[in-house]
Amino acid sequence: MKIALAGNPNSGKTTLFNAITGKIEHVGNWSGVTVEKKEGDVKQSLNPRNEDLVVVDLPGAYSMSPYTSEESITRDFVQNENPDVIINIVDSTNLSRSLFFTTQLLELGIPVIIALNKSDLIDKKGNTIDVPALSDALKCPVILTSATKSSDNGMPKLIDAVITLGKSNKKQIPPNISGVKKASTKEDFEKADKKRYAFVNNVVTEVERRKVSSEKQTLQDQVDRIIAHKWLGIPIFAAIIWLVFSISQSWVGPLLADTFVGWIDMLYEGIASLLGEDVNPVVAALLLDGIIGGVGAVVGFLPLIMVLFFCLALLEDSGYMARVAIVLDRFFKKVGLSGRSIIPMIIGTGCGIPGVMATRTIKNERQRRTTAMLTPFMPCGAKLPIIALFAGVFFGDNSWVGTSMYFLGIAVIIISALIIRKITGDYSKSYFIMELPEYRLPSLKRAAISVLMRAKAFIIKAGTIILVCNAVVQILQSFNWQLQVVAENAPETSILASIASPLAVLFIPLGFGLWQFAAAAVTGFIAKENVVGTLAVCFSITNFIDVEELALVGGSTEVSTIFGISAVAGLAYLVFNLFTPPCFAAIGAMNSEMESRKWLLGAVGFQLGMGYTLAFFVYQIGTLITTGTVGSGFIGGLIAVALIAACVGYLMRKGSKGNEISAGMRSVKV
Amino acid sequence: MMALSKAMLNTTYTVNCVNTDYEDIREFLFTLGCYPGEKITIISKLASNYIINIKDSRYSIDEDLADAIMV
Repeated sequence: MKIALAGNPNSGKTTLFNAITGKIEHVGNWSGVTVEKKEGDVKQSLNPRNEDLVVVDLPGAYSMSPYTSEESITRDFVQNENPDVIINIVDSTNLSRSLFFTTQLLELGIPVIIALNKSDLIDKKGNTIDVPALSDALKCPVILTSATKSSDNGMPKLIDAVITLGKSNKKQIPPNISGVKKASTKEDFEKADKKRYAFVNNVVTEVERRKVSSEKQTLQDQVDRIIAHKWLGIPIFAAIIWLVFSISQSWVGPLLADTFVGWIDMLYEGIASLLGEDVNPVVAALLLDGIIGGVGAVVGFLPLIMVLFFCLALLEDSGYMARVAIVLDRFFKKVGLSGRSIIPMIIGTGCGIPGVMATRTIKNERQRRTTAMLTPFMPCGAKLPIIALFAGVFFGDNSWVGTSMYFLGIAVIIISALIIRKITGDYSKSYFIMELPEYRLPSLKRAAISVLMRAKAFIIKAGTIILVCNAVVQILQSFNWQLQVVAENAPETSILASIASPLAVLFIPLGFGLWQFAAAAVTGFIAKENVVGTLAVCFSITNFIDVEELALVGGSTEVSTIFGISAVAGLAYLVFNLFTPPCFAAIGAMNSEMESRKWLLGAVGFQLGMGYTLAFFVYQIGTLITTGTVGSGFIGGLIAVALIAACVGYLMRKGSKGNEISAGMRSVKV
Repeated sequence: MMALSKAMLNTTYTVNCVNTDYEDIREFLFTLGCYPGEKITIISKLASNYIINIKDSRYSIDEDLADAIMV
């Protein structure tokens, strides 16, 4: 039996999906988190007779006539794949809008069950809903559910009703709304839709009593006035992000990391003593320094990432992120994007891949492609270890490093969007409308589940891709081209060094022209966590996190001496890694969302140029300020940056000229 | 008749028409319950956005859209 979950955005479809399948798909208290359909089996405890029950979670839709592409996924599925039962999730605080979609679903002939979700809020708001009357009016079963609760949430009743209905093989009888069936022309459809709404209004007046009329000001509206205030909104957002980075990087994160790294150290020593003295030193180094050291250096940052994700999950759950979109909308509007583009970017702070995928909700093609191109500039989870490492080594674990990288990301995105708009010459506007979810107290449990899911993904990645990469790096740096073991005092003769050295020359104007850094930047394209792992392997540092003192990166002066670059160069390297193209997986996601080879190549080229240019300015200006003279390779770097700028400038001119031509053609047409 | 952007806060108006060349946004607003004859209230103006109430939901819309909705 195939069961489809359909309903308005933010009615809790995915939460309900998780509740009945036991899966942990990403949820958030805002519209448009789900952009693809997801399938799962109903979990055993709700399905004691082991029936074949497949549930499909669909993206939210307000109607069967699609406005956004995720709405068309929903419509196509419901119309073409013939689910046996549709569970229509209806937000019980918003019957008057939600039931419009319900009337359309009821006309399909597929049995519909209404899950009146968020039912705990009915009482809380002092409203009443006459459930039997609602069920009578719509001629379908109505079950009260509360998917966020773990017990007494209405799920067993819902699944029982689904099984009964699905087995009865009865066709759904649509409510009698005159004129709906005969509609064929556009006017007819409009008339029919108005009749639908009139029908819904009648039903709602009959079954629902509201204590407070919804157009009255509430406490939430007062809060919004401060949080999404034109000017106050920005410092509030900055303070919240700073707090998130402080908690994860300076307070709770290091505490957890210390314990955790203690275990990794024990493992390292345990294996070292197991191996003893007799094992081949190359093999021992591969196992200890390459695999345990390299992977351990990355995994050591896991507690910190988990704390950060925990905070972000709480923020998402609270409904705050939708307010951020309002605050930033006007800046994005000035550069040809809109508040819609902010949602992918916020999701991209967790991981760039779902972030890029979330751009699908943007209808305007140029805006969608631009957003897919710029979303990877947000510091994703994999980039956090790099931030934490460099903040620790060079800046005494200061939380401003992470916070400023976050906001630098937003600033770079805005500037880049401006450039891209000039290049494309597309000045089309689009309207911005977004449902404002109600604030709610974030659930610690939901946040914990989401963090555990991410931690699992991280550990799997560390045990596969990162492990293999570190092993390869270790082997490449242990041998020279004659396949002899590299002498201890001549590491630059290794295969790795000879491959990376030509690249390192390019990085001299950026302050980190050492083969180790070049190698780490390259392995970073496979997975950004590799940057930390490769640095650990190349500099033979087994552990960045010091368990002796309560600091994230202990003995930081030692590490910075081993690195052999200045703090300014360290910052430049950090910036370079954050603003160059993302990992291959994210580039793949960009490819599928952009649907254009030309855009993809342009995007990767642009990101490379952006990373290089930013790192150049950070290093050269920083060096000028700290030492009074420009840094190494200034002239060469300046030429390179000037070339990049010239290319971009040429494309921008060409773009605006193209726009004049097309504007001219338009005026001819008129 | 005037644009919603000129309307007063906390006053319930009746939508007259949605004045735009983009058919899809008009249809989208319809699915939210924003169409001629329905009620609409501005709750507040935040940043450059208008927070409006349609049916039982709050939405954030930008100035351009507030200009297009005639009440």
